[in-house]
Amino acid sequence: MRRGTTAALAAIAVGLVVAACGGTPGSDTSSNATTAAPAASDTSGGGASTAAAASTVKTDGFEALGPITLNVWSYDNQDPGLMPVITELTKQFEQKYPNVKINLTFKDFNSLVAVVNRALASDNGPDITEGNQGYQIDAEEVKAKLIIPLDPYVQAYGWDKWWGPDTNQIFQWTDNGKTFGQGPTWGIAQTGQNVGLFYNKKKLADLGLQIPATFDEFNTMLATAKSKLGSDPVFEFGNKEGYGTIHFMGGIQGAFGDAKPLRDWIYHVPGSTYVTDQNSQALTTLKDWATNGYFNKDYNAVGYDQAAAEFAKGKGLFFVGGNWETAIISKGLGSDAGMVNMPPGPSGKHVGVGATSGPWHISAKSKYPDVAAAWLNYIHASPEAFDLMYGALQIPSVSTAPPPPASDPFLGEVTASWQQLVQDGGLTLYTDWASPSMYDTLAKNFQEVMAGKTSPTDAMTAIQQDWSKFDAELQKG
Amino acid sequence: LSAPPVEVEASRPGSESSRGGRPRRATGRAPGEPRNVAWLYILPGLTFFVLFTFFPLLHAGWLSLYDWDGITVGKFVGFDNYTKALSDPDVRVSYQHAFQLILWYAVLPVILGLILTGVMTRHLVRGFTFFRTVLFLPQMIAGVVIAQAFVWFYAAEGPFNRLLMLFVPDSWARGWLGEFGWALRAVGSIGTWVTFGLCMVLFVSGVQKIPTTLYDAARVDGAGSVREFFVVTLPGLRYELVVAFVLTTINALRSFDIVYNATNGGPGNETYVPALLMYLNAFKYNEVGYACAIAVILALVIFVLATAVNLLADRGQS
Repeated sequence: MRRGTTAALAAIAVGLVVAACGGTPGSDTSSNATTAAPAASDTSGGGASTAAAASTVKTDGFEALGPITLNVWSYDNQDPGLMPVITELTKQFEQKYPNVKINLTFKDFNSLVAVVNRALASDNGPDITEGNQGYQIDAEEVKAKLIIPLDPYVQAYGWDKWWGPDTNQIFQWTDNGKTFGQGPTWGIAQTGQNVGLFYNKKKLADLGLQIPATFDEFNTMLATAKSKLGSDPVFEFGNKEGYGTIHFMGGIQGAFGDAKPLRDWIYHVPGSTYVTDQNSQALTTLKDWATNGYFNKDYNAVGYDQAAAEFAKGKGLFFVGGNWETAIISKGLGSDAGMVNMPPGPSGKHVGVGATSGPWHISAKSKYPDVAAAWLNYIHASPEAFDLMYGALQIPSVSTAPPPPASDPFLGEVTASWQQLVQDGGLTLYTDWASPSMYDTLAKNFQEVMAGKTSPTDAMTAIQQDWSKFDAELQKG
Repeated sequence: LSAPPVEVEASRPGSESSRGGRPRRATGRAPGEPRNVAWLYILPGLTFFVLFTFFPLLHAGWLSLYDWDGITVGKFVGFDNYTKALSDPDVRVSYQHAFQLILWYAVLPVILGLILTGVMTRHLVRGFTFFRTVLFLPQMIAGVVIAQAFVWFYAAEGPFNRLLMLFVPDSWARGWLGEFGWALRAVGSIGTWVTFGLCMVLFVSGVQKIPTTLYDAARVDGAGSVREFFVVTLPGLRYELVVAFVLTTINALRSFDIVYNATNGGPGNETYVPALLMYLNAFKYNEVGYACAIAVILALVIFVLATAVNLLADRGQS
């Protein structure tokens, strides 16, 4: 009897396992893919016909459509930040079209990204949502036909005049979601986010120094600054999370070459490699700066935002970081705050890490894509949108935007930094987009190079190995 | 916390079980029989165990045989994930770190707990309950909070360095959690702080069941406090020691929250631990099958170690 019971329990356990595993993991989700398939044929058909006749896209006159509700998801939930901007612009849009009701849902980045693809596949997901550039989110949405290509709207509204083709690449995927940076345009984004060289104007003047025009002169200047500053670091640096160096590298890489090879590498253009003279020289420079003691000694124990806060309190001469730190630095340093791009190499072209904010997509299941596109256009490029964004210290991504109010010269410098990178084709994007594990690979190897635990050559080889591994998976599909 | 097995009951002469068991069983179903009713008692617990522990474990074992990204259809690859894990330098280094953490999470807290217990049993400490509660507090705080607190504590200009600077030159100050060569020790010391209170509470409660006559006898024989500790207290705490070692060793091997929040594996790979690699592979790299293989290996290592500690204790007894 006892043996019988044990056997019965074992049978139940095995039954449970088999029931839940269903033979092969993921085979139950493949049925989701087939349920998404009708939507897929829908949109590709619809997409093709609308592309053929872009004039059929309606950009106004939505009153005739009767009551409409659009659900919008966003992870721009920071206040101050874009949340109040989007909320206010949405109110204005609803006043313009009283029959349109827009439900805004703000979530934090991680929770939105974790569920957005499944929500888009369901029947009550968002009509409009932010995704995320790269292979994990956007590629999946394109592959599963969860979102529609925006090309008809790009033509109708002139979105192609907002930025150059190399910026637009971050919204482009081939229809199968395999190739990044080519094919239809699947999104647009509100703000420009780039890493630049923040500096303390007062300290720089006290040292009798100026930011020179070229990287070589800048490198020399750092040594002078170091000798004069004493224990105060030249660069206030926070690399606890590891993305500090990923951001820092962009400007240095720009001194030894263009941004394009870096972007091509992220897009997995065949033949791309990380093992280049450009990267070798950049890594060696970074290592030298660490050896020379230009950074605060505890940089691997300090967080990125924490370093920005310390810099805002007056620590360090420079801070290399994203323009999303503008608010805190402006508050701390006031009129002493300044920002430029890293001085360029021989080419004279400025390079820096950066891209737009999160891409907005329209769901393949939305019944009113035209209205959705009109709302997107309004929150991106209306005069009201520009005013509100500058008011929230956000930099409009759109290069046709007017300059910020002259009353805030620091915001003017931050805006100019973004515009300069867009014009010079110098946005490197984020190198960690190149594979799902690239973030940790870069973080680890950069930290080891800076500490002298590994050589630039070995680090480049390790980084390229990670790239090749994921590249093989992409080819295999 | 599991209580030590009560052997006194069985050896007591003339107790219920030794007196009447056998003849009654022969006559048929005595009270307590049929034994199958036992299944009814353990059924609720067993159901939970099977559903939420045993089944997920089997499921993880199953997934570990697949090359699966968590979304699309997986591909059966046999033991490839295991051979890959065993030859992956990052996985190897993470196990080395895990074993170093045993020193910090298990050995040191047990020693500290024993010392405190020795002191507390020998001398009547005023406000004993208060101290016991305070020392146990780290067990009740979420790992994330602890990690954040220690990030601040170990910062270059944090309290730890300020204390240290009283004794050594200022140039010794550093961000300990971000320093090559020190980060793992700094993380380990957090573990010591978290677990020694648990060990102490276990030992103090264990001491209370040691008959005071043994202490009296030792004192009459002229034992000092150290000798008394080694001949009476320590042997009396055998089971508590086993429980403490097993619990803390498991904590060491599967440590995640503190590492993730204090260093995230850095600098370089200095604080990579198996649970962190499991997390990264499953949730960031879309390598669910591989993550499961790492998890299964970790479960096996924990199982082997826990069994070994128990066996050692049993052998020591006989």
